Order: sequence, then structure tokens, then C-alpha cells
Amino acid sequence: MLRLFARLILRPLKSEPARALLTAFAVALGVAVVLAIDLAGEAAAGSFRSSVETLTGDADLEITAVGGIPEAVYGQLATLPVALRLKVRLEDYATLSGGGPDKGAVVPLIGIDVVADALELGITSEAGPVPDKDSVWVSEGLGLKAGDSIALQIQDQPGTYRVGGVFKQKGKIIVADIGLAQRLVRRPGRLDRILVWVPPARTVDEWQQQLQQQMPAGVTVALQGARTQENRRMLEAFRWNLRVLSYIALVVGAFLIYNTISVSVVRRRSEIGILRALGATRGAILAAFLGEAAVFGVVGGAVGLLLGRVMAEGAVQLLGATVESLYVSSRPAAIEINAVSALLAFTIGISISVLSAWSPAREAAGVPPTEAMARGRSDYLARVHQRRDLLLAVVLAVLAFVASQQPPVAGKPFGGYAAALLLIGAGAMAIPAMVDGINRLSSRLLLRLGGVEAMLASRSLSASLRRTSVLVGALATAIAMMVSVGIMVGSFRQTVLIWMDNQLKADIYLRPAGTASADRFPTFDAALPDRIAALPEVRAVDRFRAYPISYNGLPATLAGGETQVVELGGGAQFMSGDRASIMRRLPTCRCVIISEPFANKHHLTTGDSVTLPFGRFEIIGVYYDYANERGYIIMDRRTLLKYLPDPAPSNLAVWVKPGVDLDQAKLAVERAAQGSNVAVFANRSLRVEAIKIFDRTFAITYALEAVAIIVAVMGIAGALLALVIDRKRELGLLRFLGATTGQVRKLILCEAGLLGLLANVAGFLLGLALSLILVFVINKQSFGWTIQFHWPVAVLTGALSLVYVATLLAGLYPAHIATRLNPIEVVHEE
Amino acid sequence: MDTILIRFERVSKDYLADGEPVHALRELSLDVAPGQFVALMGRSGCGKSTLLNMAGAMDLPSSGRVLLDGQDTLHLDDAGLTKLRREKVGFVFQSFQLLANLTVAENVELPLLLAGGASARERAREALGWVELDGYEARLPHQLSGGQMQRVAIARAVVHAPKLLLADEPIGNLDTATGDLILKLLRRIVTERGTTILMATHSPESVVVCDQIVRLRDGRIEAVETRDAR
Repeated sequence: MLRLFARLILRPLKSEPARALLTAFAVALGVAVVLAIDLAGEAAAGSFRSSVETLTGDADLEITAVGGIPEAVYGQLATLPVALRLKVRLEDYATLSGGGPDKGAVVPLIGIDVVADALELGITSEAGPVPDKDSVWVSEGLGLKAGDSIALQIQDQPGTYRVGGVFKQKGKIIVADIGLAQRLVRRPGRLDRILVWVPPARTVDEWQQQLQQQMPAGVTVALQGARTQENRRMLEAFRWNLRVLSYIALVVGAFLIYNTISVSVVRRRSEIGILRALGATRGAILAAFLGEAAVFGVVGGAVGLLLGRVMAEGAVQLLGATVESLYVSSRPAAIEINAVSALLAFTIGISISVLSAWSPAREAAGVPPTEAMARGRSDYLARVHQRRDLLLAVVLAVLAFVASQQPPVAGKPFGGYAAALLLIGAGAMAIPAMVDGINRLSSRLLLRLGGVEAMLASRSLSASLRRTSVLVGALATAIAMMVSVGIMVGSFRQTVLIWMDNQLKADIYLRPAGTASADRFPTFDAALPDRIAALPEVRAVDRFRAYPISYNGLPATLAGGETQVVELGGGAQFMSGDRASIMRRLPTCRCVIISEPFANKHHLTTGDSVTLPFGRFEIIGVYYDYANERGYIIMDRRTLLKYLPDPAPSNLAVWVKPGVDLDQAKLAVERAAQGSNVAVFANRSLRVEAIKIFDRTFAITYALEAVAIIVAVMGIAGALLALVIDRKRELGLLRFLGATTGQVRKLILCEAGLLGLLANVAGFLLGLALSLILVFVINKQSFGWTIQFHWPVAVLTGALSLVYVATLLAGLYPAHIATRLNPIEVVHEE
Repeated sequence: MDTILIRFERVSKDYLADGEPVHALRELSLDVAPGQFVALMGRSGCGKSTLLNMAGAMDLPSSGRVLLDGQDTLHLDDAGLTKLRREKVGFVFQSFQLLANLTVAENVELPLLLAGGASARERAREALGWVELDGYEARLPHQLSGGQMQRVAIARAVVHAPKLLLADEPIGNLDTATGDLILKLLRRIVTERGTTILMATHSPESVVVCDQIVRLRDGRIEAVETRDAR
């Protein structure tokens, strides 16, 4: 059996190393992308538990409250007649504002009781065992030593701090004594978390219930790690969709394996016949060809693992940026290749290879011994059942429609995924008929437009219909993905632009300087808004304050704004109801408005109510929002201040008086903000920054598309090479009949061009259908955003042209090989 | 009118096969006049096909020279050789060598299209008429018999009115009766169109239609016989 495998499979593979390597590399790229996204996703998702949670330790319970826990709660817990072990934490962020490569980086700033926790964390002071409470301690990752100074911006205030010592900790993190930290982040008398270790007398759940009963309103007792779990749950949809997207390159690779094995079977048909005549069983032939696919899977999988580890480094940067913009503060953790991820990617690579080869391998096993003397090629050409396949395509398309109408399962759009897969299947089934039809109709036209070479190319592709269809299918799938994601992102971008037009009505916006994140809301000095409001150029100021909260086990944002000021410019657009009356009611009732993603995530609508730690609030409107995926609950500022009395705002929107020069007003605002480290944006530049963040968010999807396209184009190159080798007699004959080498080159390039054109047409149509599923099913069910359909004409034209040129380039090497064939040898070989 | 269409002057052809030197032709000299039907006979490996390839400007001599209609093939680059072939040479093969995915008419017009010639379809029809295959234009090669396929190949070889037609075992794949018809057709081409034919053949019956028989052995001319086949 092994000898049969070596002679029938391995030896021919060795004789065409370029083609074998291209196929294996296509699998490698597919496996690499799957692994890279998995590793990078894990690193990005794992980053919020890395440094902060190491400092947290393995507590049983954690106590939190929106806006911080009053210190009195700690006192209350400490005096309970049970042996609870307690630790306090204040958690915020600082921006490194000194020089060096880390300038501008945002790092966690953790307030702890240094006297109590110093030993445990390995914090020591130069002065002795009791640390100096006015210093900060830094992790080794920051590269500082005791006695150095460190420049930090905390909230909007710049300052320089003395490094009291260095502690062992991965990543970059700063620790300060709780008292100093409270001062620096302007939350005097407030704690962010109290960690609780309970005695073993009762279960942790029982302790949780008991302690919760003793807490004041607004304070929550939860199992430790609940927040990490919430973040992971929030990220689940994002990671799922990325993972699904990463599999597209493997699907494209599957087409190419199918093609490679089909070509092998066709070329060795008479050999198979001879082997069958000599006693080889069907099972042995089947195993040999599945073995060939497995060779590609093993080699591709092994290379893919190495490649995936490298690609993960790049992917984690892109993913980290997206997570930070849309979800939660994220510092990419170190990428750790784990056995499960590696084994999974490797197994998927081999399984897809073997499964793709199943059909041609079965065909090989079915070759009767009488074919020992038969010619092989024509059989390959003939075995396309166009009508049957077209009918199947219609059935699959109908099933795709049905699947797309299904509701999400456990928050995941499985119906949408199934619909996309069924559509790709329908496309693959319809492609032979499309290729044949277009070729038939265009043959004479091609002769007129592109000369005899174009006509010959068209006929050749039509004659090798199955092979052509598989190639077109592979490239079309990659193009369809590009088109659909392009349309989805383009539509989303346009929707966001329109939304910003409606939403961003103020003239100047301010926030504390530093990198923005979806869950970080540093505040201003509370006096700053009044200083700005008093400027003669300013008409009004909206003081907006946001808090990260947890709602029904998912992170969200609770915020308050000045409704009457916002109403100066129009503002939010609501999904239903009259905007003016909603905004009139908001300051006067015990009510909130919620963003669309929040509404979809928690299945809420106008008339329902939200239960916050300090009470229930009626929802009087659901507004369109694309700022981030966490979702907002918004109340009037006065209502918010009743429950969370901290007046410091986290964002300011400034309306300038009519007739005042905007640049002059911006200068005046900047002067008023002197002493604070504040980012001031004119309306226009805020939009530019927002769109920059948007584009950065989708960079990873473009990278995934690029890999799928590369896999497909490599497949085209490999397949054209095979086509040249299989048709060398014809190409040699053309030289006998008077063709120049230039004409032979043109013929192969025309084939590449036609393949590219057919794939572009099929890919565009399939991509259009897929984009509808992406926009209206998968996106809606995963993220809860309403996206208006929009054609990104320039992007699509550019991308399709680029793919077309890449396909033509893929034909260059095969064309070169074709011109190097010796016509005498190849014609006389037959 | 020139008296020599193709001249081989002390032509040798050496090449390596599996690392071993092969002397396919050894200082061979031969003149073929226009309008002659010449049979090249000899055992396999005697150099018949090599001689045809040299005559058709598909291959170049290792030493000596080949003059086709006065042009030394050694002095031409690839484009020049292709042009010479397009204008002056037609090929017929033992296994017909029709392109399976082109119709009969498309196969026949192919040399004209490759040369960028005008009225290709019309001239292809004429050529098909000449080989008595009117009405077969739209058929595909697999719908034809062996004899019909070879007639299509002959139509393709003469469609551009070459001065020289090279036929490599043109009846090797045909039964006797069909082979005879093909030979007669080739003779008609010489007689009616004045085309020169160089035909490599194993078959002694083939020579009845030829004016000259060149017997080759080990890359050299062993004998040249002249006969009146008109």
C-alpha cells in the first residue's frame, strides 16, 4: 500500500514541485489565518484579566458600585462579626506622558493599601519595609528603577511622580497607595472594588447572598471574575464573527485541494486502470488519493502553525485596537500558542484537505480496469452535470433564504452563517452553467476583441469546464467575501457618517487627552466647564458624564447629558416616536433613553424599563448609536447627579455664539483649559478622528480578505500551470501552425484574464447576496446595529481591479513556461 | 521560378538523449524542387522526422544549413522562423492533431487567424470544399471518422496556400482504403496546386503517389529514387 502511494502519488508530486508547493502553501495560509485569529483573539480578550487580575489575586467575591463604593462600606464590612479578609482597590488609567517609545500609552493605575498589600505584591521601598505613600510603584515592564521619576497624565492633569520601587509583574502597570490614587483620580472617599475572601463555613454563593443583603442600594456583591466573564461574553460575538471570517481562506483552499486532486485523478486515469487490472482494490485507490490530500494537509498544516504564530503578532495589534475602540480597555497580552488551538488548526487543515478530496478520490476509485487503455482527459471534461447542478443551486439558494430568516441562537447568528455557507454552495453549483453560458455567448465576440488567442482561451476554459468552474469558484468565493465585507463596511461607514451629521451638532468637543477607549471615562476638573461657559464666545456647554456599568451580566455605559443644551442642535435620531417630545420629557421624568445596540442586546424597547442599582427607569426612546458596541443608557444630567453626585464631566460639547469665528472660539477654549491636559476638537476634526478609528477597526477584516484573495490567486497560478502542462501538445501544435511565442503567452494570459473576469462577475453577484446577509442578518443579530445599505463604488471598483490584475499576474509564470515548451517534443510525445 | 524550394547543405543534427549523444542527421545534403512529392523512408530513428522539422523551420541544424525558398533558417530569429512557417509551410501529422474544442471550420481557419489574415472563414470553407468536406464546418473533431479528421488536417495545412507541405506518417493511423484516399488527396495537392510535399512514411504502398523516394539510414541518405507518379 505504501509503495502504491509512493509510486502513484508522491513521485508525480515530486515531478511538479512548484504546483505541489503552491497547493500546500494555500492550505498553510488557511491554517495560519485560523490559528492567528484564534491566538490574537485570545490575547486581546485575555488582556483585561492579565495585569489587573494578577494584582487582584484569587478572591471569592468582589464588591462594586456604579460611580464607586463609599469607603464607609469597607468600614461596615470590617466590623462584621465574621472573619472576612478584605482588600480595597481603585482602578483607573494613566497616560505615560514622558518621552520614549511608550509616550502616549495608556496603562492601568491601581490604588491599593500599600501597607497591607506591599509584601504580597513584592513592593518594597528604598527606605525600608514600609513604603512611601507619596510614590508610585511600577511593574518591571516599564523599565524604570526606584528613585526614577515618571511623567503621567491622570484624568486631565499632568504631573511627575517619584518611582518608589519596582515590582515583578508582566506588562505595564502603575500602583499607588489608595489615598494618593483617590486624590489623583478625583474620587475621594470612593473605592472601585472591595475583594472579599470568605471563611469556609458556608458556600461562596451563600456568602454572596448574605453580604448583598447588608449592602446599601447601588452596591453589588458578585463572584470574583464576574467582570472578566462579562467582558468575555461581550466580546464573544465579535470573536465569533472574526473566527468565521478567518475560515473563508480555508474554504478557498478547499476548492484548490479539490482541483489539485481532480487533476491528479484525471492525469493518472490510465495508471489507475492499470493498477486496478493488476489487482489494486477500490479502497486502495481511494486511500491513495485521500492520502495525497492528507499530505497537503499535513505539510500545509505544519507550515501553517509556524506562519500562524507569526501572523498572530500582527493580528493582535489590529484586534487590540478594535477591542479598545468598541468594547473595553485592552492591552494585548503575550501571544501564547496552546496545544488545543494548534491541534485544532492542524486538524482542521487536514480534515478540510481530505474532505475536499473525497469526491475526486471516489471518482478515482470508480475507474474500471478497462480504462487501462483509455485516454483520460476527455472524461474529466465531460463530467459536469450542468442542469442538475443548476437545480441544486436553486435549492441551496432557497435554503439560504430560509436560514437567513431564523432568529439568533444563544445570541449567535447561526442562521446567517448557514445562509452564507449555503449561498457559497449555491454559487459553486451555478458557476459551471454560468461559465459555459458566458463562454458560448462571447466566443465570437472575444475573437473580434482579443484576437484568436482570446477565442482559443475561451474555448479551452469551456472545454475544461469542471476545472475552470472550480477555479472560478475558488476565486469567486474570495472575491464574494471581499465584496460583501466591502459593502457591509462601506454601508456601515456611510451610516456612521450620516449618524455623525445628526449627532455631532456642537462646534467644539473636549475630552481629557490620551487614547480613547469604550470603557474609560477620565474626567475634567469640575470647574473647567464653568470657565468655558463663561467665555464670551460660548453660547452653551453640555456636560456629559459616563460610567462603565454592568447590566444583566454584560458591560454597558450609563451616562448623563444636558438635554436642553443638546436640543440646541437637534441631536439623536430615534427608532420610533417623536424626538422633540422624547427630549422634552427626559429632564422631567424618572426615565432614560437607550441606544439601539443596548436595546437589541437586552431585548428592550420603548415602554419597558431598565433596572439600575439605584432604581427602575422607564425607557422613553431607543436612539440610533454607533459610538461603541457596549450600548448606552442615557438620562438627563440632573437625574444622574441625584444618584451619582460627582459633578466632574468626562466629555464637553461646546456651542459657539452665532457669528463668532470658530478658530478664535477654539483658541479661547484651549486657553481656558490651560493647566489641564485636554484634547480639543473642532466638530470637523472630531469626525475625522472618529472615521479614522472606524477604519482602524475594520483593518483586520481587510487583512483577512487579502489572505483569502492571495490563496485564491495562488490557486489560479498553480492551476494554470497544470493547465499548461496538460495542454502542452495543443500549445506545441499552435507553434507548428504558425503561432509566435508571444501569441502562446497571450493565450495563457487571456485564460488568466478570463478566469479573473468570470470570477469577478460570479464573485460580485455572490458577494452582493452575501452582503445582504451580513448587513441585515449577521451584523444585526451579532451587534444590534441598523445599517443602511450603501454601495461603496470606488472601493469595490478599486478592489475588483486589483484582484483582476493579480489574476493576470498569476498567469505570467505559467505563460512563461508555455513559451518555453519545445513544440517538437510535446507534439511527438503524443 | 526557383528550381530549388528546399535545400539541405551538409546538415547534421546532434542532441543529447538521457545524457547520451544522438546523431540524428549526419552531413546530409538534399535538394527538393518545387511541385515535387518526396517520400522519406527508413526505419524508426533514421532521421525522417528530424529532417521534416528542419524543413518546416521548427528545428535548426547543429551544422550545415537549410534554405527554405532561399532563406537560410539559421539566419532567422524566432519571429522570422514563425513568419516563414506561417507563409510557406503546412503540417500534417499521423495523429491528425486537431484541437478537440474547436469546430472543423475553426480548426481549419486557425493558421489564418494566427497570422492575422482576412476572410479566414471563407478561405477555410474553400479548403474544406477542396477536401470534399462541405457541410462539416460546425462539427467537432470527435464527431468525425479518422479519414475525415485527416482531411480536415490537410485542409488546415493548405488553407494558407503554403509552398511546402510536410506530412509525418499521414496514413499511419488509417486503414488501407482510407489511407489510399488520403494519398490520392495529397497527390492532387501537388498536381493541382503545385505544392511541394515532403512525406515521412514507413509504408511502401505510399510511394506510388511520389515523384522521388529518399531512403534514409542512420541519419544519412542511403539512396534516392526518382519515379513518374503523374
